[in-house]
Amino acid sequence: MTTKPDKVGAVMVLGAGIAGIQASLDLAESGYYVYLVEKSPAIGGTMPMLDKTFPTNDCSMCILSPKLVECGRHLNINVMTCSELVDLQGEPGNFKATILKKARFVDPEKCTGCGSCTESCPVKVDDAFNQGLDKRKAIYKLYAQAYPNAYAIDKQKCLKIKKPKACGKCLEACQAGAIDHTMQDDTVDVQIGSVILVPGFEAFQAKELSYYGYGKLANVVTSLEFERLLSASGPFGGHLIRPSDHKEPKKVAWIQCVGSRNCKIENGYCSSVCCMYAIKEAVIAKEHTPYELDTAIFFMDMRTYGKEFEKYYDRARNEQGVRFIRSRVYEVTEATDGSGNIIIRYSNEDGTITNEEFDMVVLSIGLEPSGEMIELAGKLGVELNKFNFAEPPSLTGVGTNRPGVYVAGAFSGPRDIPETVMQASAAAADSSVILSDARGTLVKKKEYPAEKDVAGDIIRTGVFICHCGINIGSVVKVPDVVEYARTLPGVAFADEKLYACSQDTGEQIKEAIEKYGLNRIVVASCSPRTHEPMFQDTLKEAGLNPNLFEMANIRDQCSWVHQKEPEKATEKAKDLVKMAVYKAALLEPVQGVSLGMSHDVLVIGGGVAGMNAALNAASQGYKVNLVEKSDSLGGIAKRIRYGMKGEDVQAYLAELASKINSSQLIKVYTGVEIAEVHGFVGNFVTKLSNGEEIQHGVAIIATGGNEYQPAEYLYGQNDRVKTLLELETDLADGKLAGAKNIVFIQCVGSRDPERPYCSRICCTKSIKQALKLKEANPDANVFILYRDIRTYGFYEDMYTEARRKGVIFIRYSVDSKPVVEAAGDKVKVTVKDHVLGVPVVIDADVVGLAAAIVPPDNSRLSQFFKVPLNQEGFFLEAHLKLRPVDFGTDGVFMCGLAHGPKNLEENISQAKAAVSRACTVLAKESIDVEGKCAIVNKKKCAGCGVCESVCPAKAVAVDPAEKVAVVNEALCKGCGACASSCRCGALNIKGCTNEQIMAMINAL
Amino acid sequence: MLRMQKLASAIQDAARMLLEEKKVDLVVGFSKGSLPLRSTPCFIRKPEDAAKLTWDCSCENNLANYLRKRQDRVAVVAKGCDARSIAALINENQIDRNNLFIIGVPCSGMVDRAKVEAALEGKDLIAVEEKGDTLVLKAIGVTMEVKLDDLLHDTCKVCRYGNPVIYDMMIGEPAPAKPEDSFADVAAFEALSPAERRAALAAEFSKCIRCYACRNACPMCYCTECFVDCSAPVWVNKSTGTDDNIMFQAGRVFHSAGRCADCGACDRACPMGINLRGMTRKMVKEVKELFGYETGVNPDEKPALAEFKADDPQPFLVKE
Amino acid sequence: MEWEPKIVAFLCNWCSYAGADLAGVGRIQYPPNIRVIRIPCSGRINPLFIMSAIKNGADGVLTSG
Repeated sequence: MTTKPDKVGAVMVLGAGIAGIQASLDLAESGYYVYLVEKSPAIGGTMPMLDKTFPTNDCSMCILSPKLVECGRHLNINVMTCSELVDLQGEPGNFKATILKKARFVDPEKCTGCGSCTESCPVKVDDAFNQGLDKRKAIYKLYAQAYPNAYAIDKQKCLKIKKPKACGKCLEACQAGAIDHTMQDDTVDVQIGSVILVPGFEAFQAKELSYYGYGKLANVVTSLEFERLLSASGPFGGHLIRPSDHKEPKKVAWIQCVGSRNCKIENGYCSSVCCMYAIKEAVIAKEHTPYELDTAIFFMDMRTYGKEFEKYYDRARNEQGVRFIRSRVYEVTEATDGSGNIIIRYSNEDGTITNEEFDMVVLSIGLEPSGEMIELAGKLGVELNKFNFAEPPSLTGVGTNRPGVYVAGAFSGPRDIPETVMQASAAAADSSVILSDARGTLVKKKEYPAEKDVAGDIIRTGVFICHCGINIGSVVKVPDVVEYARTLPGVAFADEKLYACSQDTGEQIKEAIEKYGLNRIVVASCSPRTHEPMFQDTLKEAGLNPNLFEMANIRDQCSWVHQKEPEKATEKAKDLVKMAVYKAALLEPVQGVSLGMSHDVLVIGGGVAGMNAALNAASQGYKVNLVEKSDSLGGIAKRIRYGMKGEDVQAYLAELASKINSSQLIKVYTGVEIAEVHGFVGNFVTKLSNGEEIQHGVAIIATGGNEYQPAEYLYGQNDRVKTLLELETDLADGKLAGAKNIVFIQCVGSRDPERPYCSRICCTKSIKQALKLKEANPDANVFILYRDIRTYGFYEDMYTEARRKGVIFIRYSVDSKPVVEAAGDKVKVTVKDHVLGVPVVIDADVVGLAAAIVPPDNSRLSQFFKVPLNQEGFFLEAHLKLRPVDFGTDGVFMCGLAHGPKNLEENISQAKAAVSRACTVLAKESIDVEGKCAIVNKKKCAGCGVCESVCPAKAVAVDPAEKVAVVNEALCKGCGACASSCRCGALNIKGCTNEQIMAMINAL
Repeated sequence: MLRMQKLASAIQDAARMLLEEKKVDLVVGFSKGSLPLRSTPCFIRKPEDAAKLTWDCSCENNLANYLRKRQDRVAVVAKGCDARSIAALINENQIDRNNLFIIGVPCSGMVDRAKVEAALEGKDLIAVEEKGDTLVLKAIGVTMEVKLDDLLHDTCKVCRYGNPVIYDMMIGEPAPAKPEDSFADVAAFEALSPAERRAALAAEFSKCIRCYACRNACPMCYCTECFVDCSAPVWVNKSTGTDDNIMFQAGRVFHSAGRCADCGACDRACPMGINLRGMTRKMVKEVKELFGYETGVNPDEKPALAEFKADDPQPFLVKE
Repeated sequence: MEWEPKIVAFLCNWCSYAGADLAGVGRIQYPPNIRVIRIPCSGRINPLFIMSAIKNGADGVLTSG
């Protein structure tokens, strides 16, 4: 008899873009050890290349970098850069992965990221990160904020690797001894329980389509190149110029669907993200230029189907003056006058031809899977779809055909960042389902000596000033600063170090703490953003509270930026050290806070999203209360008969319901609503309308959505006019067999002033139904009247199929909507055809209205959980880009239509994502917070409530009985908005007190 | 009966009724002072004392000052500015609306005694008589009739909210509407160069003796410990250096941002005659322009600085 | 000598402070008369800090977040 091998509590995440980072963080925070395998020398993927992100216009790097740091520093994420997966053996729960670790030639443990090596390197190489728009050296860091903050050598380009006796300048420059040109590749085997494939995408090679002129015409660039042109860290510092002649462009055009929606090159899918990024680039470009920049986007269908996208499009068009030209581009050529300008020859919708000249043309290139991944998928036995994406099997969201191997992000299909993040979390949740028995078995925890009590002790500050090789020392006179530090109040010891961050210096700091009885430590070196946690760890190892530490940034913000003014830089360094020392004298230990918690889950809403969330959480071993206000589970899906890929939705629902009913861990409440909610993360108490009280640690809101009841197009007056959901039933029941002429009208109640959002699924759904109709009766005439066909991703294939099968698509514009009139036993539909320019009259047997998806009234839940709604009444997430299922309120998550319109597949994926995020809370024994939070001095508090109003985390409230503010330490993020708003000075922030900041100000 | 006397007797009737019916424990209003134009805040607990209440053009104090954190049920005689401050204090949990009865009184402005003194060229006022739009001022050997408008406090001249915004009972006819405040005084200050502004502030605040009368007179200054008294950290030195005086005033004014009803209490309280309203009004104008917010005018509205709105105008931001 | 203003900057750890670091990584040179105070969020800036900085002789205060 064979015994099944034990499950392994570790996961391999392949690819360290935003998906890989998110999946790794979710898993590591949920009790699993993670191997994050990345082929390039740094984590980050594509996001660091982007300038801004839609629809919030946040700086891409700014929102990513906290995640980079968290991921990079996580004790339970083993970041393996320059590494590739070469083999995977075993079965779900217990795989052996073979990883090839390629030689980096720089030891990231020793490298301080100072950059002296790169300055001395004589070899210039096209900088791929900057899309080849400028040069880097053979020894390089992928991008400025890269993690690990360490250099790597380009094996192909380095002189010394080719000829061991050549060059070696970097070796001389590196005082940390981090470089080794003889480093060899290495192969390691790791044991893991599951695999998440998140390798991202490759940009379409625009050269393949010669008529766009890319590669031949200097002023035709790709959208990725344009991102780098816009980026402040790009080759031109964010100054918008043509890379060819450095001229400021006055007119810029974007051409959409380059390499997408193109069956000739077998890319018959929509890349899903290009419409939005082109609008964003146009808007940002306009912001960048001090002059009036003309921007035009040449497109076929504008696909702004995501959350808050349509409004972004509206603003770009109506307020920011971006021109949108519905067209087919035939050819892109260069002007003959030597200006280098580009002429776009295009056909308008009515067939007329126009030529327009631009200074610069941007090609909105599509997303493709990389060749390497296609190859690897073959090796791993992971099936790909006809476009070579690892499209998940139906209704799994993130699965692959190989059990234990999951997929997320653009490798599973072209998608934008929030969907990628969602899927990454979902893949983490599914991984966790199969490994939950092994949760917590492989995670590491560091032990420290007991903390010394320094309360009441005389201040004895130790100051360590770093040379950082020559990075600081060559500009700032470090010995002078050390001398000066010795004169400052409370300083008992000051010394200089070649590298403060080296391991031996860490030991020396610990020795000095012991020898001189130091109780406050100041290090003057690089940035606390990168190095503070490391030094704080040293303090902990020496038995000091980590908050007795302060840093002065005399490298990144002094020696590096005042290289020509050593005197003044030295004065500044002294001032910075003085400020740090003054603050240090007032530092006090900050203790973490630990609170008990419930590990149960409350899921509100029993539709597909809620049911999936409940099942996933229960499969991970958590008790779930599933509350549904109607009398049965299923939600709006009860009215759907076919999935987008033809799935039998009712059978799927039945299966879900039976799994839920047979689960020991799920308690279902139907016909019940939420009556009251009290408490906070880990400690919620929710009262139901039946009087029962539920204690739960987290809540997942999945309240679903409804179909809009149209007031237009004779709906409700003529029974031949139906909504898509009504049509769905008729279609499934064969009631439409006799219909000869069927008309679908899109955007009914969507994309209008009242509901300025796209309902996302209606185009695909209408086409799906049209194809069903054609299947049943090939002679039927099916018309789809649309504004833009938004069959994003692989649904584009269905659009192509529908056209091939004779479904007639007629575009209407919003100012001349179709007219529907009763005409005997038929319905007369009149629409103006934009191609022919004449009205088309259809005698329809049936009219299908693609009615909007509308949210239920979520206002009560919004108040109960203190979570916001957007303008349209859908729940509004903590961050549209990177926190798509989280709220600002901890412990509350959402999924499904409650968040916004989406299809079944996406709802399932989002439900799993919500569980994954919830598990990062539930996997802990208790609610632990760092303790750097707000604290109230009750004697001073007047109870005016301004803190309550300004707190973004809803962590402080005025106690109605005591009439003073009370801080919930579990929720407080320590941002300090309350302390800054408190006139009475009753609020302060532990670790960053008013006194400490004033001490710094007074030190000036 | 003259208008003011009618108002006074209506106030008395209301107070008597409220006390008799035990709807309130206390009525806060004004009584006659020992000198003309010296009406003073007065606290009535018995119905029979209601006759002590009065109303005239010298009821200048902001009675909101006496209403914070009370346990008893109080009725207050409130003119426009009092009501605005009351609304703001309710918003800040300092007044329990359920325990407060507001007797609203329309106000066309209160008389500035300094202007009376100036009109009388320093002679002591011995009697005053209301006569339509004018006041008859009597001093030894002098009787003069002066237009009431010319004697009003500067703050009353620009006040558009003479009629209380919240009340439980309204007495008398509403005061006529007034035009929008032009903030001409603030605009003149803003037109100065930075150096001139600095000099103007220094000239004004070098006079400050840090008696904190302005703070104590302000109905909105109710912190248990004012930031000027705080020792950890020391925000402001206790001595009367001009820089510290400016810091004190700037802090005081900043703390009143979105809360100041421009009642002028601080200004009237200053024994050194410092133009305190110069600074408070600058803040009032900023708040109005930036957030479209006026203190206590719309009692349901969240105060400007006690609300987070994603679409707040941020004209001070430096953009790319 | 030309007059140089003293600038005190309150920078949010998560964005502007990171931006200042990035300027260093990019070796972007700027005048050395700025003193940066790192704060956990621009919400932490009490207006009194700004006034105090000015009272203490700063000619300009930069708040960024």
